[in-house]
Amino acid sequence: MFKAIEVLQPNFIQRPLNELWQLISPLYNMDEEKWLNELLPLARPTEGELETQTNAAANLIAEVRKDDDSMSMIDALLLEYSLDTKEGILLMCLAEALMRVPDKETADAFIKDRLSVADWASHAKNSDSFFVNASTWGLLLTGKIVTMDEKKDGTPANLVNRMVNRVSEPVIRKAMNQAMKIMGHQFVLGRSIEEALSRGKSYRDKGYTYSFDMLGEAALTAADADKYLTSYMKAVESVGKDTYSQKHRPTISIKLSALHPRYEVGCEERVMTELFDSVKGLIIKARSLNVGITIDAEEADRLELSLHLFEKLFRDECTKGWGLFGLVVQAYSKRALPVLVWLAALSKEQGDRIPVRLVKGAYWDSEIKLCQQRGINGYPVYTRKESTDVSYLACAHFLLSEHTRANIFPQFASHNAHTIATISCLAKQLGATTQEFEFQRLHGMGDALYNRLIKGSDICVRIYAPVGSHKDLLPYLVRRLLENGANSSFVHRLIDASYPIADLINHPVTTLESRKSLANPHINLPANLFDDRKNSFGPNIEIESDWTPFKAKVDAFMGQDTQWRAFPIVGGEKVATGQTHSIESPYDHNQTAGQIDWADAATVTKAIDLAEAAFPAWSARPATERADCLDKMADLMEENYAELMALCHREAGKTIQDSIDEVREAVDFCRYYAQQARSHFANPTHYTDFLGNEKQAKLNGRGVFTCISPWNFPLAIFTGQVVAALVVGNTVVAKPAEQTSLIAFRAIEMLHQAGVPTDVLHLLPGDGATVGAPLTSDKRIAGLAFTGSTGTAQLINRTLAARGVAPVPVIAETGGQNAMLVDSTSLPEQVVRDAVRSAFASAGQRCSALRVLFVQADIADRVIPMIKGAMAEQSVGLPYLHSTDVGPVIDKKAQRMLLDHIEYMKAESKLIAQTELPDFAKNGTFVAPTAFEIASIDQLTDEKFGPILHVVRYKARDLDKIIDTINNSGFGLTMGVHSRNETTCARIASRARVGNLYINRDQVGAVVGVQPFGGQGLSGTGPKAGGPHYLQRFAIEQDL
Amino acid sequence: MTIVQPIQIQVAQKVFEAWDKLGVNGRAEKLQKALNAFPNEQRKMAAWQINNAKQSIAETRVMPGPTGERNELSNQGRGVFLCMSFIEGDKAKVGLVGQIFAALIAGNPVITVGPIGQEIMDMISSFVAEGVVQNIAESAQDSLIEANHLAGIATLCDPMQAQQLSQRLAAKSGLICQLVEETDAENLSVIAKPHYVLRFVTERTVSNNTTAIGGNATLLELGSMND
Repeated sequence: MFKAIEVLQPNFIQRPLNELWQLISPLYNMDEEKWLNELLPLARPTEGELETQTNAAANLIAEVRKDDDSMSMIDALLLEYSLDTKEGILLMCLAEALMRVPDKETADAFIKDRLSVADWASHAKNSDSFFVNASTWGLLLTGKIVTMDEKKDGTPANLVNRMVNRVSEPVIRKAMNQAMKIMGHQFVLGRSIEEALSRGKSYRDKGYTYSFDMLGEAALTAADADKYLTSYMKAVESVGKDTYSQKHRPTISIKLSALHPRYEVGCEERVMTELFDSVKGLIIKARSLNVGITIDAEEADRLELSLHLFEKLFRDECTKGWGLFGLVVQAYSKRALPVLVWLAALSKEQGDRIPVRLVKGAYWDSEIKLCQQRGINGYPVYTRKESTDVSYLACAHFLLSEHTRANIFPQFASHNAHTIATISCLAKQLGATTQEFEFQRLHGMGDALYNRLIKGSDICVRIYAPVGSHKDLLPYLVRRLLENGANSSFVHRLIDASYPIADLINHPVTTLESRKSLANPHINLPANLFDDRKNSFGPNIEIESDWTPFKAKVDAFMGQDTQWRAFPIVGGEKVATGQTHSIESPYDHNQTAGQIDWADAATVTKAIDLAEAAFPAWSARPATERADCLDKMADLMEENYAELMALCHREAGKTIQDSIDEVREAVDFCRYYAQQARSHFANPTHYTDFLGNEKQAKLNGRGVFTCISPWNFPLAIFTGQVVAALVVGNTVVAKPAEQTSLIAFRAIEMLHQAGVPTDVLHLLPGDGATVGAPLTSDKRIAGLAFTGSTGTAQLINRTLAARGVAPVPVIAETGGQNAMLVDSTSLPEQVVRDAVRSAFASAGQRCSALRVLFVQADIADRVIPMIKGAMAEQSVGLPYLHSTDVGPVIDKKAQRMLLDHIEYMKAESKLIAQTELPDFAKNGTFVAPTAFEIASIDQLTDEKFGPILHVVRYKARDLDKIIDTINNSGFGLTMGVHSRNETTCARIASRARVGNLYINRDQVGAVVGVQPFGGQGLSGTGPKAGGPHYLQRFAIEQDL
Repeated sequence: MTIVQPIQIQVAQKVFEAWDKLGVNGRAEKLQKALNAFPNEQRKMAAWQINNAKQSIAETRVMPGPTGERNELSNQGRGVFLCMSFIEGDKAKVGLVGQIFAALIAGNPVITVGPIGQEIMDMISSFVAEGVVQNIAESAQDSLIEANHLAGIATLCDPMQAQQLSQRLAAKSGLICQLVEETDAENLSVIAKPHYVLRFVTERTVSNNTTAIGGNATLLELGSMND
């Protein structure tokens, strides 16, 4: 970690660029306390400076509040519907979804859903703003209908019901749409640049200038990217033609994610060529017309990639000598300061000034959530708002310093009066003239603040103005509202006259230093997400400092010179049976991962003998001791992470992220079951029996458990079954899948190392006939856990039942015919992203994978081409490469079955798309992701365990029939639902007979202890793996 | 080949969804009304099963996890259960009542067998929707055991009978039909345990990630919460 204060030394940016680059990435997930302690001195004012800054902020706020027009309509809306009210959130939801719903029936149902759950009427007369009441009630068109008279009408809820019943949803729909358009008008400057330029004239007369942003979501397809590129080109041309005489010309802001469907680290090669070419074209055009270009900042994972691309573009001949090619830096990012340092040095080296917009950052919530989900070792953003403010001021201090100003043109974007006042004071202090920096604000926000500022100064204020259709506005609008609608937001407090000015002008350094800790105790680190156990860790493969050293460790196991040699393990001994099999890598059959000896009949018998003999002692050990072994196992797997990942690649053909997820799941199983065992198995439970007697019962192991696991989760499911059986007090004979026994061998070695006695746990690799059959027909087997096909589960169940002994527990997790239901209120971009991931990630070889996508007919013509476009962007390849989305299927048998199905479907249905296979695919067992449109789920007889998606169109009114059809398939594993209508979601949830239902997300990747996993009907017996009832089924409940 | 389902299975399947949707408390309210008709020990057993279910499976559990999403775990009935006893006597009858109430309170429609089953059904049927509890003659028992779409059998029997039943169920195609057997009719050491009801449920996880309409707003609030 570097000394932050040193950046104020003029020679700091004279260091070699590469040296400065190295300062950036390590701060990605740096300890927040440590780094803030570095930053605080840069932001901390002297006593005198603090007084000046505080007074300036107080004056600015007081003046703004004096202004009668300070509260814009949108401000009034935010004030009335703060997002800490249910109505506020519902209004955002309605706004976000309503305008894209093409069919009236769904729109009306949606409105009814929204209006029925909130206490709208309590807001209706609280606000003086016509707009607030209008948008609430849709009075713009139907004012005469709803004349509110609370005295007569009684309770607010009744009012709503009456209104909904009397006025009817179609009327409200029209009115709400109109209200949303007005909201759009407030936040969007124009539908085209021409309109925006025309509407912006009055502001430019006041002295403002603009940076225009073309609205839109990130591109998912090449066609989308082309569309956005054309739109940016046109924008540049239009601004270029602008004849308004002004010192500061308008510029264009561009989102790189809109210009390339795969703007991500894994596709760096494409980004540095294809996306580079697109942006270069824009720069050439823009430079010829003297229109500056700013690259917007996006998610933290893309920061380093965006800087690489920026550098290449900046150094290109097309940009050299220009000085109007800039970018955005987010102050909430821990890496913000070294990024600015690096940019200053880059600029100095080339001699071209870089305009840099310093923002606070708009993706804070998603950044936090993503890190929690992925088990990242820390956060890339600060966890307190005031820390972001401190970072902002520290960055501003650097940017306004004399040696930086010559290289960077700072553009301070903020709506916080304190920030603005402080920056102005800081500039004066550091001798920066108003020509050497500018302020920026969003269109529709901060008018009053900046009107004040611009009146008394010649400072440039640039308005960031979205341009585009109302349809494209909504995602943008919702983000802005969410950002600014939260009660804590400064904007919200500024306009709330009841909020004391004194509380708005606290310096962030003072606020932060008054906290007990610099990091927010309410935002647990990903490792501490759970109160009762440690979360598993995952490296972030998008971040250089996190991934590069980790990858080097994995690579050490990737060469052909590394070969694993595995055997059955019985009583701790490796048993060489002479039945040696080579394990080929699924992506290249010329390569092997190692060799394994399969168990023979004698080995199986010996393992069961030992396991039976070991049971009394093991089951008598305290549950806490057994749990300790599981915790140790979890730690050992994390210590051997790299080797296990290499095995996932080489033996199972798993991609990088899939391999990380695999290890994490195995680790989570161990820690979760350990914690469950300590809670429920360590001590007897007290209960009163049906006759009123007080009793004590204890859960004990049953005996020898057989665990038979599949190849698709060769470590996670294998380990999960085994440790669940063990921790309860059973002894275990484990048969891994033939295809993936090497990783199972390593797992058993580690379990023994973790303290599980060698006579308690035995590994029996081999096929069904030699190993599976005796493990299910031996009378001593006291229970069985199985994951695999429904057919095999039935066979095993028959064998067990035929033994002539008392029935034993069979815990089977089997297949599915998993569906996703998508209605017209859903966001198509999100649907496509989630459907493609659910169907094709892991080459579709997940029990939970999506097989049948049901799309409401009204949006099918939009969604299906997007799926086609997104599939064209999928990369099928070598699983250990970052660029690969889809790896191979497990073996030739699986490949044959899938290819046969594809051939059959090509004849029987309509092919939507098929992703291209690379040339080397012939060396392994690859299957191209393929999508078909079919008429009904009935066209499918059984599960096809691979990357094949079937799409069915349905009519909204047939939703119940669709659910019946899915239920009638007999399978019941996972289901996805995409809808903004909570009533629809609840209806599907209550009717669908599935084990795991996912609403508005993908339907794969259940997390242990968070989303217990398992199906019903043909999909499994339960209880759910990774759930609170799983261990009980491995045990017997006995009175003491 | 068209598979003809016994009519009782069809009837039970039709009422299953509505019965299951009532939830444990909704079903408890109805089943409790039937309790007075049962003799002493049977009544206590039935009441105990209801209370046990209310404590252990009624609640939808909110699971911990990443902020900005909601994960809930709840329980549902598994489907149609055949409840029967091969053992006679008062104790066995108490056990049979326990089975039937456990199956019902968990959300399953139940089919009872023979005169004893009829007697129990008669005491319950007027308080629940038609089809939630049905009875068949002993002679029809085999066709029910063999039927597809039977989610499980709860039985009081001797160990040999349990083995035979287990083999018959395993021989069927389709879903793995649950056998919830009690072979200790004297002590009811399985039926009278707190975890018994879990054999009659299937769990369901609902993961709601409706961000941008509340999830992330909640997270934003967390981020600015005072210490």
